[in-house]
Amino acid sequence: MVLVLPQARSHLVIFNIMRELKVKGCSGMCTRASSDGESHIKHSELVGGDETCSSLCVHSTPEIEKKYVHRVYDAIAPHFSATRFAKWPKVATFLNSLPSGSLILDAGCGNGKYLGLNPDCFFIGCDISDPLIKICADRGHEVLVADAVNLPYRTGFGDASISIAVLHHLSTENRRKKAVEELIRVVKKGGLVLITVWAAEQEDRSLVTKWTPLAQKYVKEWTGPGSPCVRSPSSLTLQSIPEAEESNSKEQLEDTNESLNEKLEETMHLSSRDQDGSVFLIDAEDNKKQQEYFVPWHLPYHRAEVSGASASALASGLARKDDKKGAVVYDRYYHVFSEGELARLVSGMRNAVVVDQFFDKSNWCIILEKTS
Amino acid sequence: MRLLIHNMLSSNIKGVINGFPLRIEVDKVEEKQVDFDAAFLRKMFHKIEWKALLDAALTLGYAELPEEAPDSSVLESDEFLQKFHHALLELDLEEGALVCPETGRKFPVTKGIPNMLLHEDEV
Repeated sequence: MVLVLPQARSHLVIFNIMRELKVKGCSGMCTRASSDGESHIKHSELVGGDETCSSLCVHSTPEIEKKYVHRVYDAIAPHFSATRFAKWPKVATFLNSLPSGSLILDAGCGNGKYLGLNPDCFFIGCDISDPLIKICADRGHEVLVADAVNLPYRTGFGDASISIAVLHHLSTENRRKKAVEELIRVVKKGGLVLITVWAAEQEDRSLVTKWTPLAQKYVKEWTGPGSPCVRSPSSLTLQSIPEAEESNSKEQLEDTNESLNEKLEETMHLSSRDQDGSVFLIDAEDNKKQQEYFVPWHLPYHRAEVSGASASALASGLARKDDKKGAVVYDRYYHVFSEGELARLVSGMRNAVVVDQFFDKSNWCIILEKTS
Repeated sequence: MRLLIHNMLSSNIKGVINGFPLRIEVDKVEEKQVDFDAAFLRKMFHKIEWKALLDAALTLGYAELPEEAPDSSVLESDEFLQKFHHALLELDLEEGALVCPETGRKFPVTKGIPNMLLHEDEV
């Protein structure tokens, strides 16, 4: 949950709520939770990390993805779809390079903007968002509702698979890895897999200043190993995260990473005096390797009004109002990829090799070929 | 949902060893005309599990496919390709369900869209 203090132009992120989300998440996920209370749940049973847990938990959707990915896309589906038509040239090039008659599986197809792009191929799309899949079906595409981490396809049926802007919505490395394994599993030997993800190294740095960074220690707490599942209520912390002034954004475009960090640090310092009793947890070092974010989605009031989903999203705290922008604001969870991270993620795959990798429009992209 | 998709789908419930093929429950079938593409059909033929397609087509009320899995020599027959085309691409399950062969779990098909999402206790 994010509250906005207009006078400080800063976000207050109440991490207690995230902790609560995480606890709910693990009790739902780990059926072996002890009967005498949550404090006895072993961290090895939480999402992420180690092998004993992976088979049990990797397919279970953490609460953060349910709330800040699935529910958000369900709520914004028509607006999202209406604004998502531009096709990345590199994805189009890949799809057009595939032999005529290829069966292409799009895992996490969204509004289906790549389905049918190569008219000589047969596309099948899936997405976890039912409203987005309905939009695809209305456009005449062949689609189904399914989870990219656990595809309901038999092995080796596809000629190629694609995952465009999907993996960055998965909140643990094990789940991101599992999704890659699935993309490889469902194609034939010799089949190609294209994966693109948002890069931490955004070409337009002013964009990043509009995102809400999530402090590493809290992200680790609900996704990583080695963290206590339950903490005492006294450890409730507020974190204030500045949003850069919009008037600065032009300037910031030309800023280097370092000076931007300095600016952020400065702003944080200033705001810290404004906030009574709040604690800052992101230092400059954290900021450089920041990969976990909430990225806002602005749903204009004129659209929000026609959709009952927004009223209930506001009531439940999933969304907030921004009268200045005239929009209902939703937060979407992102794990943006650092340079080399996608290559590292796929390097463990025994039955696939990297045939190409590139950086395109602030995305890391990789093409794999299934070898056995 | 066309039968090409049915031939690819498999129940992925935790613990299920062989989730293929899914049994079909029919509430409503539609026939949709699709452009005939012999090259595509010849390519798909090698991916298709014949028995699964045959049974699915029968369930949807189409009984023109050969019972025995044909060898690839039939791909020269236009008559065969027409039937294969119809079964694979023109029969559309509009309303109904797909049933896991091991557990009996039903995956609904609504407005032609299968929902293959699993519950928390199935993953």
